[in-house]
Amino acid sequence: MERKVVITGLGVVSPLGIGKEVFWDGLSKGRSGIAPVTLFDPGDFPVKIAGEIDNFDPKQFIQQRKSLKVMARDIQLAVAAAQLGVSDAGIDFETIDPTRLGTSLGTSLISMSIDELSPSVQNSLDENADFSIQKWGAEGMNMLFPLWMLQYLPNMPACHISIRYNTQGPNNTITSACAASTQAIGEAFKVIQRGDADMMIAGGTDSKVNPLNYLRYYFSKCLSVNNTRDPQKVSRPFDKERDGFVIGEGAGIVILEEYEHAKKRGAKIYSELAGYGAASDAAGVYGDNYNVNGLIYSMKNVLEDAECNHDDIDYISVNGLSTQIADKIETEAIKNVFNEHAYSIPMSSIKSMIGHLGASSGVVQLVAAALSLENNIVLPTINYETKDSDCDLDYVPNTPREKECRSALLNSFGLGGQIASLIIKKI
Amino acid sequence: MDRRIVVTGVGMVTPLGVGVEENWQRMCKSESGVDYITLFDASHFPTNIAGEIKNFDFKRYYPHNQRVEFTGRNTQFAILAADIAFKDAGLDSVKIDPRRFGIYLGSGEGKQDFFNFVEIIGKSYDGTSVSSAKFLELGLEKFHPYMEIEQEPNMAAGHLAEIFGARGPNTNCLTACAASSQSLGEAAEIIRTGKADIMISGGTHSMIHPLGVTGFNLLTAISTRNDEPQKASRPFDRQRDGFIIGEGAGILILEELEHALNRGARIYGEMAGYGTTADAYRLTDAHPEGRGAIAAMRMALDKAGLVPGDIDYINAHGTSTVVNDRVETLAIKKVFEENAYNIPISSIKSMLGHLIAAAGAVELIVCLLAMRDGIVPPTINYENPDPNCDLDYVPNTARKKEVNVALSNSFGFGGQNVSLIIKKYK
Repeated sequence: MERKVVITGLGVVSPLGIGKEVFWDGLSKGRSGIAPVTLFDPGDFPVKIAGEIDNFDPKQFIQQRKSLKVMARDIQLAVAAAQLGVSDAGIDFETIDPTRLGTSLGTSLISMSIDELSPSVQNSLDENADFSIQKWGAEGMNMLFPLWMLQYLPNMPACHISIRYNTQGPNNTITSACAASTQAIGEAFKVIQRGDADMMIAGGTDSKVNPLNYLRYYFSKCLSVNNTRDPQKVSRPFDKERDGFVIGEGAGIVILEEYEHAKKRGAKIYSELAGYGAASDAAGVYGDNYNVNGLIYSMKNVLEDAECNHDDIDYISVNGLSTQIADKIETEAIKNVFNEHAYSIPMSSIKSMIGHLGASSGVVQLVAAALSLENNIVLPTINYETKDSDCDLDYVPNTPREKECRSALLNSFGLGGQIASLIIKKI
Repeated sequence: MDRRIVVTGVGMVTPLGVGVEENWQRMCKSESGVDYITLFDASHFPTNIAGEIKNFDFKRYYPHNQRVEFTGRNTQFAILAADIAFKDAGLDSVKIDPRRFGIYLGSGEGKQDFFNFVEIIGKSYDGTSVSSAKFLELGLEKFHPYMEIEQEPNMAAGHLAEIFGARGPNTNCLTACAASSQSLGEAAEIIRTGKADIMISGGTHSMIHPLGVTGFNLLTAISTRNDEPQKASRPFDRQRDGFIIGEGAGILILEELEHALNRGARIYGEMAGYGTTADAYRLTDAHPEGRGAIAAMRMALDKAGLVPGDIDYINAHGTSTVVNDRVETLAIKKVFEENAYNIPISSIKSMLGHLIAAAGAVELIVCLLAMRDGIVPPTINYENPDPNCDLDYVPNTARKKEVNVALSNSFGFGGQNVSLIIKKYK
């Protein structure tokens, strides 16, 4: 018999606040966490807003200065979310077999700090103020501290968490862009299902609020460059006037656990993680082209994996990117998979409130969906004002709605073409 | 009944060449692919040697498809290796169900546009700090849009899906030096659980760029034996002083057994066991007793339903760092006990350098070839025995030996350990 996997802990650090309570409070009131960028000065750059985490103090979560020094912001956020998730799950590590405890994280390329590189660059300029690679090799690079690179390796968030909580079981880091944390959770689920671990610390982290990543996302042509709208109104998935996404940052952790293991220790169970599906659109490498089949396959795969029928799904947490093409394709795919039933499923995009959290967007959606099941409230898609005839489903416009939710499906897809879906169910 | 997974195609691009047979022959002749760095002027770096793929002209091998023009070397290596593997598996003439056909890579990051990057940082300096506004302004002007997008590590897997029409599960893991072994282990699990019938899996990476060499030099992890490039990578030798950065890709076609048999595919071997663990010890050091490595090897044996005495050959992680080779030796002795001294163990990193994320996949292909030809490749540059490393490392020359079952180890920086076991298909 297949082992059942449940969610027993939630940790989140988001533009709506730190911790699941404040996160849920913001979401369920339809609040926006988007504001002008404060982490750097964007000058005349076309994009000037972000979903930043206000008042994040890493020292609250990471006491050792030595550890903090080797952590880029992405890593700090992950460690913070892990601490919140682990504490929410009430794990007593004294009683847990560390070899049956694993880690699976979705991360992304971590941006190097340009401020940190600057002294090295200054020391590598020749008499004409041109950069000299010889000077860099001989002197410039030595301005960086010996462990400099450790801040930026995408597997480091999982390593820090693994060391901190002594997780000696399977340890993976998925780097599939915007689908990364959804896939990391899906894989962690499979690891427990197949018996390779009893408990997994799973989720993801991403902070793209820095100049280098603003450039990269801007180049993808998927970002909104709208500077006339109120920042809180820019992210508007499925609205006819949508014109791109807003960069957010954050991290989320879910504690996944084998059902009997959770029952035995009397853990609080949020919901069952019932299915995982993945696919590729095999077309979206630069975000300029989507093929609807990938998303259809991903949802069909997850429904099959969870052994769910169309009418078993009470809510969909959509990817809802807020670009013209992505929202249209997702609507089309949902209609293709759910047929006429698509019109009776409420669905919403929390990106309308927090922006796009990159590699961590999926796990943060999952935390929100688990809380939706707990509270029987489906979250709104805010800033929905003008109907688009291509997007004619029930996006729960602007205000949350009370609804008995037994199950939810979640979609993530992104630049590069990786797609993933999860299903959670009430126990 | 459990679904079985076999390897039906292999492809590799390494410092010893493009293509499987050329690589294999050169490895069996104990050749080294390590030489002076030519990709940028590394003459003033503490290390100026690496395992480069020299004169790599992607267009010569792969003239079609404009969308790959701005990809990093990692993606180009992957496309080429996948193309070789796909044809080797005879899949170019087979109709594949796209939904049952996936990609799982352990790919590193794409090429950083280093010289533009540092120039922009330099020009954005306002006398006290870097002006982000200026950096953004110059970045818009100088950076190439696609080259920036291509740096995300998922891009190689995305391109492969597009090129080969694979619409099944598509993912990328990046667990440092364990990445491609982990991708192969997980890809096999995807087939085992029935979510796909064919997976293109393996890894690709190039860290031979200024910031890659900078990072490893700062960590003092790489060899500085600049005067003898071909002798610098010397796993298990007492004079080893760090690893050599290599670059390349190894791609395998994993296929469900019935699927492979039904189309009459040639079978290289069966994916028999996968172990994955974490040291949970330190960011930079392996656990001194090899705790995680021992657990990974035992887990792989357990999954394969084998005992230590069944293993005929071990392809070691063998990086040529002082610590890795000592701890790996210790871990092998702990797992294999008295058998440890009878199993030939070699590290092809002695010849290729360390392909980082791609290392494990190339090494697993080498295990399959060792099994096919009954030859185990050597650990070259083995000159001075180290009392801490007293096993049979197949020193300097390849050896005839029947191999029915082989184990390959990959240990990632940060403490991820992966062991894979392959066996002859019977």
